[in-house]
Amino acid sequence: MPVKDIIEIRILPALAISRLGSSPLPMDNFDWEIPDRVGYRKIIPAETFHIDTNTGRIIDFKKPEKVQFRDSRNRIRPIAPFLELWGRFSVNDPLVPVTMHHLKKLGLRLSDVHWRVLVGNNKAFRRTKDPNDKILSDTGGFEDFKRKSLKGKCKNFLPGKSIPFGFGQFIKPNLQFPEIRFRFTPAGGFVYGPPSPPGSPIKEAVYNPKHKWKGYRDLDSDPTTTAPAQIFANDLSAQVRSLGYLDDECDGLIEVELHCKNKKLRTFARVVAGPPAFAPDGAPVRTVHDDLEQALLGHAITEKINPDDISNIIRRAMETVRLINTSVMNDKAQGMGWMDRSSYGRAAEPIMNPNVVDNLAILARHELILLSLESGSLAWFARVVRHFNQVGDLSDEGRRRMPALMRGADGGHLALTRRMVNKILQAADLFNQHKPVRTIKKIVK
Amino acid sequence: MKKHEPIEPKNLTAQLAYRGLGNPPTSHPSTAVSNSYPGLEMDFRNVWKHIFKGIELLEYTNLVIGVDKDADEKIKRLTPEGKGLHYELISVDGIHMTAPVTGPSSQHGQQINFTISLEWSNALAEILPKAGQFVRCRFQHNQNQKVIVLDLQVQHFFDVDMDRNGKVIRKRVVISKDLVKPGDLTQSLCSPWQNDYRECGCFYWAASRPDFVNVEPGLNGKSSGNNWMEKNREPQPNSQYIIDDFSDTRLVSYDELFTGWEKELRFIFAGKDEPPLKKSSRKKKK
Repeated sequence: MPVKDIIEIRILPALAISRLGSSPLPMDNFDWEIPDRVGYRKIIPAETFHIDTNTGRIIDFKKPEKVQFRDSRNRIRPIAPFLELWGRFSVNDPLVPVTMHHLKKLGLRLSDVHWRVLVGNNKAFRRTKDPNDKILSDTGGFEDFKRKSLKGKCKNFLPGKSIPFGFGQFIKPNLQFPEIRFRFTPAGGFVYGPPSPPGSPIKEAVYNPKHKWKGYRDLDSDPTTTAPAQIFANDLSAQVRSLGYLDDECDGLIEVELHCKNKKLRTFARVVAGPPAFAPDGAPVRTVHDDLEQALLGHAITEKINPDDISNIIRRAMETVRLINTSVMNDKAQGMGWMDRSSYGRAAEPIMNPNVVDNLAILARHELILLSLESGSLAWFARVVRHFNQVGDLSDEGRRRMPALMRGADGGHLALTRRMVNKILQAADLFNQHKPVRTIKKIVK
Repeated sequence: MKKHEPIEPKNLTAQLAYRGLGNPPTSHPSTAVSNSYPGLEMDFRNVWKHIFKGIELLEYTNLVIGVDKDADEKIKRLTPEGKGLHYELISVDGIHMTAPVTGPSSQHGQQINFTISLEWSNALAEILPKAGQFVRCRFQHNQNQKVIVLDLQVQHFFDVDMDRNGKVIRKRVVISKDLVKPGDLTQSLCSPWQNDYRECGCFYWAASRPDFVNVEPGLNGKSSGNNWMEKNREPQPNSQYIIDDFSDTRLVSYDELFTGWEKELRFIFAGKDEPPLKKSSRKKKK
């Protein structure tokens, strides 16, 4: 393909989730297989990049014999995702990964690719509202392959102190892997804070205790506290005073700038550093991807429903419920039952009939739905699924809607995204043609 | 080895689903929780705080908590200086941002009557396609009920390129810089994050933060298993689930999580604990 120009660039994936771990050895790549329709996902090894962190060189790309989540010293291996530069070379071209060969044809060098990492941790700032409590790491622009330490700096830190947020590295392309890619490696998952007495759990004293975060309190008079409030390490006193602890989580931007001869192209992706998924053979029932998909495509379903999408939603519900003690969560003094009473003064009652909520019984019900999706079982699920504007229905029937026993982003009973609900309703109609459950109004553009 | 398939620029769904060569599934947003209260990997509620140009919303309710310094004077009425924060966004283009809370009260024979702010992601689903346009926003003072009506511009959720007339000519599936700055997506999570594993129960995110593990049918036919936070698991069938209580010394404590979370928290495969951790192979210096 002749390459005379490059008209746009993008970074994919556009949002990468990294996961903390103190091992210097990043996590193996793996895939999921579903050998049994209602069984657990099987974790199988997948081709894994091994990178020389000193040079950015790709050492090899091969499947590990076994997927190992910890190293030989039991440290958790961090999820350190790769981000790829994609581009388009004429208006009619699709997006493809940009390679060093493309750059050569354009008369460009690898040093014309400039990266920058900007990540921050605003947890203390979110509470104290002191801008000097923001912790930010900015590498500035760079085009070499050296691994860049992401030092989180903050005006309210003690002199010379910073929190390491991990690393960013431009991976050196080669003939076998000529694509332009970048790696974000998160931090180890350590706790930092102000100077503390011996025996305190902090890794290093970084925070100047004369500033607000040490001793901070969420006040009832402040309508802007987080929800839930008081979710920080505290002195366990009635005043709930912050110990001033900080962590090495962060989120932010990976920016790239391509210096062409007559123009500069820019784009960016986002990275987040969060905790490991401790049950990595399953997925949550409602995910950031579900919300992004709704933001992108809208809540209405305008295309033919894909049965795999429905299986995936029900499977995720099953994967969630099998790790919940449903009997305990159904108790009036636990979980959502307790929330309903403490938040709204609802009568203290179990949500379901306690005789039918044992975990194994609930799990069996989910398995049955998944096994017989196309023979009408989805109709029942569609009838009892909770709609987004029913989260405040605390009647017996309302609280028993699906997903049950879980909490949503508004603090009420969990509702799926409207797009997920519409997929379920539409599929229920499709699978149960003779007894339509609901008619979905299609939007005609 | 997997090869890269070209992606049409307008196939944004494929771009959103793209995982990247060498990346495991747990690096993709399809494994990150979005029922954020406050969330694990991020608090997704934060993406909505600046969805209307000129104002800042609280991530979890409809309260206006700030206006831009250069905002129109009409907008500045939402946060009058020295008078506290009281204006709540109650509807957008006629769509309600709240829902009633109803049900039987703990006071015998009475009904509860409250209002809940709907989560932004679902409440604003019809509004997002109007990005770039002005929509009618109705705000109400939560004490004196005074109403302010403003036409506010909806920000683009995703990063876009526009032509001179403001028409979108290119959209990328990355969340716009106008909505969240570095550090904003995680700002309202626990500090440190380990607190979430001590304070938030399984009714939030059981698939990522397991609760009920090693489950087997017990002697009475009902399920029997361990609380994931138990330090010592009793072998089946004698295990007894310990109900979450931060003061129960049989469960992992805050300080144990802060210093030793990697050893205290076990991976769960097929519903069961990972094998016992190996003795470290690191050789001690003599």
